[in-house]
Amino acid sequence: MVDSPLVAVRGLRKRYGGVVAVDGMNLTVHRGDVHAVVGENGAGKSTLMKVLAGVVRPDAGEIEFNGVPVVISSPAVARQHGVGIVYQELSLFPQRSVLANLFVNREPLRRGLVSIRAMEERSSDLLNRLGLRFDVHLPVSRLSIGERQLVELARVLLEEPRLLILDEPNSALNERETQRLFDVLRQLNRRGITMLYVSHRLEEVFAICNRITVTRNGRDVSTKDRARLTISEVIEGMIGAPQTALFPPPLPGQSSREPAAVIVKGLSGGALTDVAFTAQSGEVVGFAGLEGSGVATLFGILFGTQKARAGDVTFPDSRGLPRSPTEAARRGIALVPSDRRRNGLMLEKSVLFNMSHVAIGALKDGLPWFDHGTALKRALRQIDRLRIKTRSAGALASELSGGNQQKIVVGKWLEVAPSVILLDDPTRGVDVGAKREIYALIRRVSAGGRIVLFSSTELPELIGLCDRIIVLYHGRIAGEIKGGEIDGPALLHAVNTGEIPQAA
Amino acid sequence: MTNDTLSPEPEAAEVPALRRRSFRLPEEIGVIVALLVMIVVIGVARPRFLNPINLLTILGNTTFEGMLSLGMVFLLAIREIDLSVGWMFNFSAVVAALMMVAGFNPWLAALAGVGFGAVLGLVNGVLAIGLGLPSIIVTLGTYSMFEGLSLVANQGRAVFPTDQSSSFFAFASMKIFRVVPVVGILFVALAIVLHIVLHRTRFGYRVQAVGSNPEAARFAGIPIALVRVQTLVLMGAICGLSGATYVGFRGAIDPQEGADFALIVIAAVIIGGTPLSGGWGTVIGAVVGMLIIQVISSGIIFFGIDATWSTFVTGAVIVLAVALDQIVKRQRERSVSS
Repeated sequence: MVDSPLVAVRGLRKRYGGVVAVDGMNLTVHRGDVHAVVGENGAGKSTLMKVLAGVVRPDAGEIEFNGVPVVISSPAVARQHGVGIVYQELSLFPQRSVLANLFVNREPLRRGLVSIRAMEERSSDLLNRLGLRFDVHLPVSRLSIGERQLVELARVLLEEPRLLILDEPNSALNERETQRLFDVLRQLNRRGITMLYVSHRLEEVFAICNRITVTRNGRDVSTKDRARLTISEVIEGMIGAPQTALFPPPLPGQSSREPAAVIVKGLSGGALTDVAFTAQSGEVVGFAGLEGSGVATLFGILFGTQKARAGDVTFPDSRGLPRSPTEAARRGIALVPSDRRRNGLMLEKSVLFNMSHVAIGALKDGLPWFDHGTALKRALRQIDRLRIKTRSAGALASELSGGNQQKIVVGKWLEVAPSVILLDDPTRGVDVGAKREIYALIRRVSAGGRIVLFSSTELPELIGLCDRIIVLYHGRIAGEIKGGEIDGPALLHAVNTGEIPQAA
Repeated sequence: MTNDTLSPEPEAAEVPALRRRSFRLPEEIGVIVALLVMIVVIGVARPRFLNPINLLTILGNTTFEGMLSLGMVFLLAIREIDLSVGWMFNFSAVVAALMMVAGFNPWLAALAGVGFGAVLGLVNGVLAIGLGLPSIIVTLGTYSMFEGLSLVANQGRAVFPTDQSSSFFAFASMKIFRVVPVVGILFVALAIVLHIVLHRTRFGYRVQAVGSNPEAARFAGIPIALVRVQTLVLMGAICGLSGATYVGFRGAIDPQEGADFALIVIAAVIIGGTPLSGGWGTVIGAVVGMLIIQVISSGIIFFGIDATWSTFVTGAVIVLAVALDQIVKRQRERSVSS
């Protein structure tokens, strides 16, 4: 018993519809380790964690806790085995108090009634240790994102787990908040809690973990001690090919049309203050910034989903900001939103239906008919041109993998030949192969004379793909960098601090 | 653009998929079979039920609520619901009848009734969009508002146009070959038109898109507020049409007629297979759903069971229909994932 690892997973397999998420995954976690699982989006790491947490039932594979085979049929069973999980997306109830969130579904009772005092007693010690000194009766919505993440962590820690799973716990945190989280995690590890840490931010993984499992395409590629690995080795394992091959070179402009531009002057609204830039046709302009830095607001304003307070914007049709997304669509301004499942797709509808969103749904020219034949031709054209993997045009959007879903969202806009394309983190949750194809597609669209504005949470993408990168910091433009003149760490520093290194 | 460099495989792969589509059984096949089975079962036990006159009477009786159910399909498809339909029907009928009493040409008055229904629908739409409220809340309010105004207009009494010499009355109550009611034909014709509207027009596409995922519809540039208002106006206009036709068919409009329409109409749409979760709808299904309800209530009379049981049975059928729908869906999901 002493020799057996805390958790052993062997040959795990899981499919969602036609998409294989995990295909023969193995994982061994020893007591007292901080064990990182790294991999590209879609490598299967989140599915693996969900299986351990009992949220997802695997199709095949064995799981052992302390050498004893177990079946984790539900989250409750996982909790009995001492598994606690902190999710990537916050799962708190924003309108309810911190205390209510800490004790969801296991409120302490006194004489049959929920006892606030018992909650306070049981949580105060832990909250102090985490350095959380706010009023626990405040609704969670009044806390900062970083504090919320720590509340989420506290909620899980109250269950006193033996294995703590953290699935990209700092994706919404700034540098200072991340440091605080890491201090807490180190402290917990010293107290003997074993941790599984899922992330694709490798600097952080190397800072906190002592063992690393690299995953790719639903399999584990290697598991080694941190001391015996370098970041570039890990990246190679994650991508499976040298990284430079990911980004296609710029294509020569093929457009015979007049050069056009989007000119933004003194734009303010939401988080944005006094933003000014010009984007020409044929170039890919990147936008870098942390969550809340204003990139999302900027795209929202340009597409008409958000209102500007002040500023002057001129589009290629020499008109100003669109008043609504409908007007934007009709004027050839396209937005590929970052949350494609929520904002980009109708998952229960066919590929054919989704592909007609803009051409039929938004435009008003032509006849008022929705012709099936035309719609089918439209769908087949994009399926062919973007190499969308689907069994037919009639397949539901939900059956496709993330990368192919994203291609539908791009394709439906290409159908109306927009002059300005805003891409908000278009490769989120997309596998490496599809990423490469999306990059090539962006290059092609740009060479075709369209104006491409591109934002991403993955900095290497911005460096590899964009002609220029505009860094936003706290709603202002911190500076502009030519693509290829900056490396990852320097851009990371710029995004986190707003300080632009002088061109060397 | 890439057609010349196109490899033949994808084309070849898509053609059978296209063919498979056109051979697929219609979604409504389940309820249609259920309706036929019911008719056959009742007919075997009580052959008199199968008399064409009886069956066509059933069709005629479903017309007025049936028309409303066609509009309700659009509302459920766009993830909304309209509870005020019964009183829009009643109020439009009262207005049309009052105009006839006042001496307007009945055809003109009927047309005005349709327009008036559309205006009531517009009231619902403007309130829902203007206040940013779901239509279920707004129409819960306008349900009573329209009832109240209709009662003010008819002073609590049936409105009865005394001069029924116009061709309008003759037409609305006419039976072709003495058996086929004109209103039944009107119902079926409207159903065919609205089926095409839902599945083959830009408006129908937008309704399904907004109902499927309103957020994604907004981000695709679909004018979602406009589509919602249009759907509620369509519902109102259909209520007006049904109400005006009713005046011609019965020759009068009772102050309480329509009070209980909303729930039967929604029940028919759900039995027909339109999901409450929106994104899709079946007009044909709603017609069949309405017929199922009507067959139950008249079948019960043929069996000599007290007519009051029909309400209970209708409710039970709704539960059964929804349960069957769930089972079929789960089966389908299982077959897709395996």
